Amino acid sequence: MRRASLAALVLLAALPLRALPLGAQTHVLIVSGLGGETRYSARFRALSLRLSGALHERFGIPDADIVWLGEDSARAAPRYAGQSTKANVERAVEGVAARAKAGAQIVFVLIGHGAGEGADSRLSIPGPDLTAADFERLLARFTAQRLAFVNLTSASGDMLGQLSGADRVVITATKTALERNESHFGEFFVDALAKDVADTDKDGRVSLFEAFRYAAAETKRHYETEGHLQSEHAQLDDDGDKQGTGEPTGRGGDGMLARRFFLDVGRYTARAALGDPRLAALYADRFALEDQLDALRRRKAQLTAEAYDDELERLLVALARKSREIRALEGRT
Amino acid sequence: MKREAGGNVEAAGVPRTEWRRRAARGVTATSLACLLATPLFSAMGTRLAAQDLTDARELVRSGKYREGIAALSRIPRGDTTWLAAQRDLARTLALVGRYDQAEATARAAAAGPAGGAAMWNTLGEVLRERGKLAAAESAFVRAVLAHAPDSLTARLNLAILHHDAGERARAAREFDRFIDVYNANAGSLTSREFMAVAIACRYLGVDNPQLFKDALKAFDRAIALDGDDLDPRIALGELFLEKYSSNEAQPAFTGVLAANPSHPRALVGEARRLIFDAQPGADSLLARALEVNPDYVDGRVLRARGLMDLEDYVAAQREVDRALAVNPAARGALALAAALRFLGGDPRGYDAAKQRALALDAHNGEFFATMAEVAGRIRLYAAAADFAKQGVAADAKSWRSHALLGMNLLRLGRIAEGKQSLETAFAGDPYDLWTKNTLDLLDTFKNYDVISTAKFQLMIEKSESALLSVYLTDLLERAHALFSAKYAYTPPPPVRIEVYRSQADFSVRTVGLPEVGALGVSFGTTLAFDSPAAKDAGPFNWGSVVWHELAHTFTLGLTENRVPRWLSEGLSVHEEHLARPGWGAHVTVGFLDALGAGRLAPVSRMNDGFMRPAYPEQVQHSYYEASLFCDWVAKEWGEKALVAMLNEYKAGRTTEQAFQAVLGADPKALDKRFDTWLKQRFAGPLAALAVLAGDTAGLSREGLPAELLVSRANAAPRSFRLQMMAGEAAAGRGDTATAIALFERARSLFPEYAGADGPHGRLAHLYLARGERRKAADALTEIAVRNESDFGANVELSRLREQLGDTAKAAEALERALYINPFDIALHQHLADLYRATGEKAKVVRERRAVVALAPVDIAEAHYRLALAWHEAGDPKQARASVLRALEDAPNFVPAQELLLTIVEGRRP
Repeated sequence: MRRASLAALVLLAALPLRALPLGAQTHVLIVSGLGGETRYSARFRALSLRLSGALHERFGIPDADIVWLGEDSARAAPRYAGQSTKANVERAVEGVAARAKAGAQIVFVLIGHGAGEGADSRLSIPGPDLTAADFERLLARFTAQRLAFVNLTSASGDMLGQLSGADRVVITATKTALERNESHFGEFFVDALAKDVADTDKDGRVSLFEAFRYAAAETKRHYETEGHLQSEHAQLDDDGDKQGTGEPTGRGGDGMLARRFFLDVGRYTARAALGDPRLAALYADRFALEDQLDALRRRKAQLTAEAYDDELERLLVALARKSREIRALEGRT
Repeated sequence: MKREAGGNVEAAGVPRTEWRRRAARGVTATSLACLLATPLFSAMGTRLAAQDLTDARELVRSGKYREGIAALSRIPRGDTTWLAAQRDLARTLALVGRYDQAEATARAAAAGPAGGAAMWNTLGEVLRERGKLAAAESAFVRAVLAHAPDSLTARLNLAILHHDAGERARAAREFDRFIDVYNANAGSLTSREFMAVAIACRYLGVDNPQLFKDALKAFDRAIALDGDDLDPRIALGELFLEKYSSNEAQPAFTGVLAANPSHPRALVGEARRLIFDAQPGADSLLARALEVNPDYVDGRVLRARGLMDLEDYVAAQREVDRALAVNPAARGALALAAALRFLGGDPRGYDAAKQRALALDAHNGEFFATMAEVAGRIRLYAAAADFAKQGVAADAKSWRSHALLGMNLLRLGRIAEGKQSLETAFAGDPYDLWTKNTLDLLDTFKNYDVISTAKFQLMIEKSESALLSVYLTDLLERAHALFSAKYAYTPPPPVRIEVYRSQADFSVRTVGLPEVGALGVSFGTTLAFDSPAAKDAGPFNWGSVVWHELAHTFTLGLTENRVPRWLSEGLSVHEEHLARPGWGAHVTVGFLDALGAGRLAPVSRMNDGFMRPAYPEQVQHSYYEASLFCDWVAKEWGEKALVAMLNEYKAGRTTEQAFQAVLGADPKALDKRFDTWLKQRFAGPLAALAVLAGDTAGLSREGLPAELLVSRANAAPRSFRLQMMAGEAAAGRGDTATAIALFERARSLFPEYAGADGPHGRLAHLYLARGERRKAADALTEIAVRNESDFGANVELSRLREQLGDTAKAAEALERALYINPFDIALHQHLADLYRATGEKAKVVRERRAVVALAPVDIAEAHYRLALAWHEAGDPKQARASVLRALEDAPNFVPAQELLLTIVEGRRP
């Protein structure tokens, strides 16, 4: 996906926020399932707690916009909203749908044990399970919002094909429903959001794309370190073709949307968009340079290494100088 | 590319008994029926006489040869079974090595009025065993012309004689007729005739490997018809072994030996099987065979091969001479005679021996294959390839020569040519697992990067080439420079370095099978070793393995591959010791126990310790012992003496001559002096290990309470084992002070011992628990400088040294650790920081390159850090390249942007 052009940016205020959701409100629904064993129950609970904490503390999402449903019928924890029964989940979704404005971001995160295949892929929860078909129905409630569906459970792979859609990021911890062993991807995915480890493009923010890439790489490393064969292969789909990829580049095909899907508002760009014309102009220049960089990257194979690096340097130097100006104006050193 | 091996010759699901159906040619079914209809004996004797023959045969069959021969000899000439008895007698006499008597018996029976046709084939077989080939041929022809009852076997023997005389086409036609014989007469053939068909198929298998399966079927029929005849069973075992199916060969041989534990041919067959499977016990079986028949040619040849592997050429020559005295035409013995001349540096003698062998069979490809195998065993790979090439030239269907040519070309680094030869070999012999495995491995070479420098060509799997090449190139260059100066020898470039991520792949590259228990191998100018990722072998120091193997390149090259294995290994470990503290083998409790018990091989027979270990650990002990010998020579005579010894070998001198010339003593005297030095060198720990050695084993079994153990340890303060045992017990019950005192005492008794179960590790742990970080660090240092593969000790040591403010030593410890496990990103990042603190800019760059090579998630950060390292090391060109890579991924990465601007602005005049 190309960045918004300068002209588009100028028009930004008049456009729906879906085009570039600066300041978009984010609603997160965390559904944590049955553990089956004490250790898994404790693990799912801890992971959910850590995730909800990070969303609030690091991404600035208000408590009211984070709903965590889990195995326990009652629990004294921030943002914990009750047991993750099918009825409660459906009720919570209705609540989010009622509150979410057009252009808002809706993020579903599933934690626990997965089972089933195809449309019957499911999350084990107290009472009747939630299937892919159920989630498809629930997601359909959000027609004016941008969606991310992150299934961190084992055997989650088949949900990707079921829930893939336009303007929607779908992440599963496994490639297929047959990858049923305990999944580690979720731990690393939450690490990516809860720690300073995943901002690989150094823009001060972690996109879903970066979180996915970090978690996928660390999962692979985990199995290599343990000397085990990797039994889970996380997938990402955001071009709506119902085909996931384990190694999205973000520069074509899957990853383009996730690369721009942030859970936070983005402090400085937000300020720029909020009415400082000098900053808006500088940002517009910066975005234009970034567009040129994207174009250059796409032409890389057609250039000699030397020519590519020379042009790369020219653009990066210009970008670095623009960056200096922006930081100076924003009062950053 | 997938390759289907011929597999087991009895592979399930393979219709091994599909006979080629063709019109009968040559020997017609009619004429054969006539032959077969001829009764074995013109008249049956009395029941009593037949019983005597049966009893005598049973004695022979069960291995009671003396009694059997006596019983057969007692059957009177006038008896109806006399002729059959004479035939058995001649065979039995030959079986136990009484060849002259066997020949005389056969001749007498053949010449007698009652003899004639029925004896000619047996006489021919006895004559053939003595190498009297013309006479043997004449006897076989007479058997055929006389329509003797065993004329089909005589026809087979004639075909074999023609084959062995180089008349391959004629022999092939003769063997081919046996298929027609089978097709036309399968229902009426005797056991021996089925065996003849089987053997013919075995010869024909060289053209059509599927015929080996037909041979199996014929052997099965032979055995089914006469379960008492051991010969088809032995021949079946030999066929299985020839086709690499030792698990099938084993029951064939052991089945025969259960019936007759003294059958020389079965004993030698099973000995070969054991050698094939690298199992112990072959020597004793061979000894039993030669006890029964001291002139058994195949036994003498097998023993000669074993002695040649031990580089005991004098004894091997004795065996070969004895074999040739019995049978001057023995193909195996003639080949070894030539090989011994070659190994002895006697080209004229070799030529003469070769002429002698080729005079019998100008197309004897196996002669050259044997030469190639012998040369390859002593690492003369170029010579081995040349011999194998001659084998192919002599006999284009010598698949073994093709395979050996391929394998040796690979060892010489000539990959494409080697692969081509292996493909040819595999097409001809699809049962050869070695060739199949190697071809499969070669197919994976596309997954490797090849990195070339002036001196080296590195082949490393793509996934780790970026990382390993950072260290390997530096390590290899330093070793090359050092060894070139020391040994005054430069190997021809490039030295090829192959690094295998899979232990199985390395193993296949080394021996063709995925089971070798080594970490590296040097073929001279081609080295192969396990990548540090090949964890099947356990943690190991890959840096020292590289150093070790490259040292071989120099010692082998300088001596033109004449250095004996024990010395080459000893020098390589010696070089490891000199390279870095901790590298190479070090003293262990097991080594000293072996020294104390007199189980180590003396220097003069140290090859035994490598090639024919007397106990499981002896190979490892021999590496260390050989290195100690080199340490000793260097200490007593100087490092130059070691180089001088190599030059003696280069000049073709024996070990005895080399010792005399350089060290001024004969091997026996040196054995004694070295043994004395060894015992002095380790006098302290030897004594400490000897104290109550037996008692401690008993105490361990008894599980005595800690108090009692401590009390006993205090009563025997010179017992290392008791101090360790009591220390463990005290630590186990939380009595840290007592445990430390006991471990410290153990340390003082055997300070050099740095094994995982030694006192240093225990002390480090206990000191640390008490907060005594400096003492803990000192204890860990003792491990780190003596145990090359303890990753954890080095990492912990680094942490402690850093806490104690000694950044340089902290870096040293991590530097050691990365040669055990280079895949830990955090280790490289931290080491880079440590080197930055110590101002070692080049090493900061190296470590930052390693981080980039490990492809961390945050690759932009890694590139930036590398760029910074280059910048600080004063290399703006590399710094620019790296910072561009960082910003390519993360264009708004502010520190990288600033560095780029600094670099660009620094360029301006």
